[in-house]
Amino acid sequence: MSSENLGLALKMVGVGKRYPATIAVDNVDFEVYAGEVHALVGENGAGKTTLMKMLAGSFNDYTGAIFINDKMVKLTSPSIAKSYGIGMIYQELSLAQPISIAENLLVGRLPRKGLFIDRDKMVSESKRLLKTVGLDLDPLLPIEDISQHEAQLVEIAKVLGTNPCILVMDEPTSALSQEEVERLFKIIAKLRNRGMAIVYISHHLPEVFKVADRVTVMRDAKKVATRNIGEVTREEIVHMMVGRSIKELFTKEKREVGQPRLEVKGLSRYGFFHDIDLQLHAGEILGICGLSGAGRSELAQVICGIEKADAGTVLLDGEPLDGLPMAKRVLRGLGYLSEDRKREGLALRLAMDDNILSAVIPKLKQGVVYNKRSGKPKAMQLIEELSIYPPDLDRTAGNLSGGNQQKLLLAKWMAINPKVLILDEPSRGVDVGAKMTIHETIERLAHEGNAILIISSDLPELVRLADRVIIMRKGHFTKIMDQSECSEESLLLAANTEVRV
Amino acid sequence: MQRLYGVWGGMMRKNKLDKSKLLALGDRFRIYILFGVIFIFMSLFAPRFFNSYNLTTILRTVSMNATIALGFTIVMICGEMDLSIGRTATFAAVIALTLQKKFGYGISVPIAVLAGAGVGLLNGILVAKIKINSFIVTIGTMTILQGATYTITGGNSVSLSGDKVFAISDFLAKPLLPMLPPRVLLTILFVVVFHLFVSNSQWGRNFYMVGGNRTTAWLAGINTDRITITAFILSSTMAAVAGILFAMESSAATLNMGDNSLMYVVSATIIGGTAMSGGKGGILRSVVAVLSLEMLYTGTILFGFGNEVKIFISGLILALVVLYEAYASYKHEKTIGQRAVLLEELAQAKEKI
Amino acid sequence: MNGIQKVDTRALQTNRFSKLLSSIGIYAIAALFIVLGVVLQSMGIINNFLTTQNMMNIVDAVALLGIVAVGMAFITYSGHYADLSAPTTIALTGIVSVELLRFGFIPAIMGAVVVGLIIGIINGIVIGKFKANPIIWTLAMSYVSMGVIRFVWVNKQIYPDVITDDPFPVMLFDNIYRFRFFNAISLPLIIMLVLVVVGQFILKRTAFGAQLKLTGSAKRTAKFSGINVELMIALAFIISAFTTTIAGLAITSLSRVGAYYNGAGYDFRAVTAIVIGGMTLAGGRGSIIGVLGGTLVIGLMNNIMTLLGVGTFSQDIIRGAIFILVVGINAKTLRSMGRDDA
Repeated sequence: MSSENLGLALKMVGVGKRYPATIAVDNVDFEVYAGEVHALVGENGAGKTTLMKMLAGSFNDYTGAIFINDKMVKLTSPSIAKSYGIGMIYQELSLAQPISIAENLLVGRLPRKGLFIDRDKMVSESKRLLKTVGLDLDPLLPIEDISQHEAQLVEIAKVLGTNPCILVMDEPTSALSQEEVERLFKIIAKLRNRGMAIVYISHHLPEVFKVADRVTVMRDAKKVATRNIGEVTREEIVHMMVGRSIKELFTKEKREVGQPRLEVKGLSRYGFFHDIDLQLHAGEILGICGLSGAGRSELAQVICGIEKADAGTVLLDGEPLDGLPMAKRVLRGLGYLSEDRKREGLALRLAMDDNILSAVIPKLKQGVVYNKRSGKPKAMQLIEELSIYPPDLDRTAGNLSGGNQQKLLLAKWMAINPKVLILDEPSRGVDVGAKMTIHETIERLAHEGNAILIISSDLPELVRLADRVIIMRKGHFTKIMDQSECSEESLLLAANTEVRV
Repeated sequence: MQRLYGVWGGMMRKNKLDKSKLLALGDRFRIYILFGVIFIFMSLFAPRFFNSYNLTTILRTVSMNATIALGFTIVMICGEMDLSIGRTATFAAVIALTLQKKFGYGISVPIAVLAGAGVGLLNGILVAKIKINSFIVTIGTMTILQGATYTITGGNSVSLSGDKVFAISDFLAKPLLPMLPPRVLLTILFVVVFHLFVSNSQWGRNFYMVGGNRTTAWLAGINTDRITITAFILSSTMAAVAGILFAMESSAATLNMGDNSLMYVVSATIIGGTAMSGGKGGILRSVVAVLSLEMLYTGTILFGFGNEVKIFISGLILALVVLYEAYASYKHEKTIGQRAVLLEELAQAKEKI
Repeated sequence: MNGIQKVDTRALQTNRFSKLLSSIGIYAIAALFIVLGVVLQSMGIINNFLTTQNMMNIVDAVALLGIVAVGMAFITYSGHYADLSAPTTIALTGIVSVELLRFGFIPAIMGAVVVGLIIGIINGIVIGKFKANPIIWTLAMSYVSMGVIRFVWVNKQIYPDVITDDPFPVMLFDNIYRFRFFNAISLPLIIMLVLVVVGQFILKRTAFGAQLKLTGSAKRTAKFSGINVELMIALAFIISAFTTTIAGLAITSLSRVGAYYNGAGYDFRAVTAIVIGGMTLAGGRGSIIGVLGGTLVIGLMNNIMTLLGVGTFSQDIIRGAIFILVVGINAKTLRSMGRDDA
């Protein structure tokens, strides 16, 4: 490949980053040549984003060495990283919504004429930048007036405007239409030919094959391999992404699957998900798999009554729940463990017992008196069952480690004596030990005849736990897979496929 | 002009005038439309409205609140709130007049302006550095200022007399150009300067950036704390200047002279399109809104209603404006995260039926 | 898994100051003020601190402020800062009750309560449901109430004995403030103590209190736990409006006149009492007992300052400074615990 003649733009040697509970990046070597597109793939939590944040100067405590154009650098702040020519396009948009496109593009470096801003130059410069991403918008429109995919392209133009020599793109296509993806790929090709080094992070393997010259696969905070794209197949990459060296130790025990407990018929919340049908039986664990933004959490929130449905109906044990507020549904045994532990799951400033009992306050009422004490034995029992440490009901939830917080959240929903439990990312960001406890508890709950719906981006988790897996894509169910068909590979492929049933 | 082009360009982009864009256009220019409607209505129907004496009076009366609105709008653009503006105006006016007795305006006015700036500095530091909610901070300073004002004056209004003082007061109030006394001219000068500063300078645009997305601004190397503190200083300083000029013109300062300004200026700024969430709005819009409200209030008086009606209406307008903004963002929140693909699908399904 | 784990104790350390200020500590501060008063008197700097009359003055002032503060504390507890419409609610309910005295005492009370509840319900809906900023909305609401007073009563002050010729309802109305059990314990004091006990009970012992605590501490979490946060917030505003109405009746009875300026300053004094009583503006913390302590401290402080010859207005400066200081310290403490607001 001709690109190698241009030399190494970026070399990371033995870099690592650890958080208090986990190691996010573990001794990784990573090289990108000038004039190449280097794809970085891996499952959620494999460490791709952390690796790139390191490059963007988000951490000042990483280990290992980073070389840019053969010079060793210390990237300890965003401005230092920027000064070395590193441009980063984040997953979440970093644009100011009410502000015009032009000012977002040129933030911090608006052209000036004397005391004042040179508006003509600002507009012409913005138009030029927009043209590089193939947009023909009026630069004076505010961001909130353009569509999300246009905003995504503006974001790209903003970074390109700083003339980076290394460009990192984190899932740049998640909000784009097919046509715009093609356009973006053309831009990427042009930039590559100009000698820019591009790191392309993505879940979508077809895109990786289209755009990348080389691909590096990460798994569990480590690098698995770097390959030339021509010498590897999609199946091989998927295998590298998910392949476990040890086979799962657990054999799944067969559970009795009973009557349907939760039935959803034609459920829609317009613009979020449409026309969803599902049946969840007693003793069954049903998984929902899909990329983020597929409408999974929104579906759960409608089923449990946080948001209102626009159409369709939900039945619990044959009785319709329509129109009931969430509190009534919780009383009937329907619980929803939210994916955002810190904002929607726990009250971090309150004690553990307040948190565990927060969904059962109406149940512990005796007359007008709220008898918190009567809930404490149950809370203590749950803490022991889930081995939450320290087992101290008066401890503030915010002082617990991530894994223990997550177990606390599960305890909160077990306290309602659930019949049907919807678990949204039940083990996100926790250590291995806590994850095992959580998985065992979920299986036990199912074994006791409860119905469990798991929404997860963690494919091994779905494969390990679920009896059936539903694939959700862009607001629709696209496929239902039986346990026998489920493997991490097949799920990943299915979640990436456009086909609808 | 370019702004106008921007809106039209946005509308014509897809070569169709769809309804939402038209509404957006109306929303963007609502304050100028409102101004026109009120002006025409009052000119046609309110007795003695459209004559140079009354219009001059309106301009003179509006000067104080228009001046206060200049700095206050900047605070709102930054996404913060300054409830202390009215009391700052009174405080500075009282200082200027009290010290005049000893030192004359030459010294007392700069001191009063500096005192106003000091209030802003205090507000700004508490908000930006200590990170207390600006609503709470300014309620606190509002109380402190009230106490300080009463303490300085012993609870009585301050009034001045003497030829020199009256000469200045006459000079400020008598029309220099047709309909335009120096105080109004001064206000117009402030408006022009602030408008150019906010809409056309790097500093000015940074206020928008900080209000629009603090993190983005910070990542782009903007010192967000300093921007916030500046906004509060400008707000208090302009409030002080407004109060001082008002007091100089009337040679007197009453202890509640600034109390209604808060209500006027907050309603006007929001009506003008400066959102409480920050990042939006402009100086001219706020000034036009203050002027519109003043015409409305003057009109109600001219129709023969008493001052009570004016107070009632102005309170009601503030409530409606706050309610409208809350309701709009409540509605908006419901649609966050919707996928355009699915909405199109829905529209297609509806068309089929 | 259950081996030795390091537990983050930072939050516990930084919390000590606000712990000190919360419930028990505030009574120590109140006691200090009493000691200060006694010392100042023994040094001859102030007179008449330790007299029955002065103590009764303190208690009466504390009773009126306490009635407002106990209700407003529910708003603060729910994470919605304060109710700035309290002063005009006091004025409006007072005027309405005086106006309705012509139909008798009971209609007067009922009328005031209805008006107060309407204000509370409007506040509750706009802030709870539509999430308007509580400060700016209650401020707007205060201007509206003021507008109503000015519009309907056109700057007139109305006197109970002018409104009606029947001396009986006037006598009853006068006695709302003046009636004393055993010639010592005033009716507002009894009312306040009852409100404190009931308020403390509601906040700490009922399901509503527990749900309000969760709403104030973590609104979204509360919503995702099935709590009707909109209703909780609305109820907090309604409770506040209700106790403010009671204060409105007492204050109007005290001044024997229905006028728009009755109640001025009660909003800020109440919220100051609340925050120095250990209830942080971030919500979900503190107790009504603490708020009573805060009210007591404010009352004692005002009294001593007055005896020292500090003018009423200069006291505002000191109160404002104390308010900002306490809120600032709370903000710093909470931020080190991971909450980024005051």
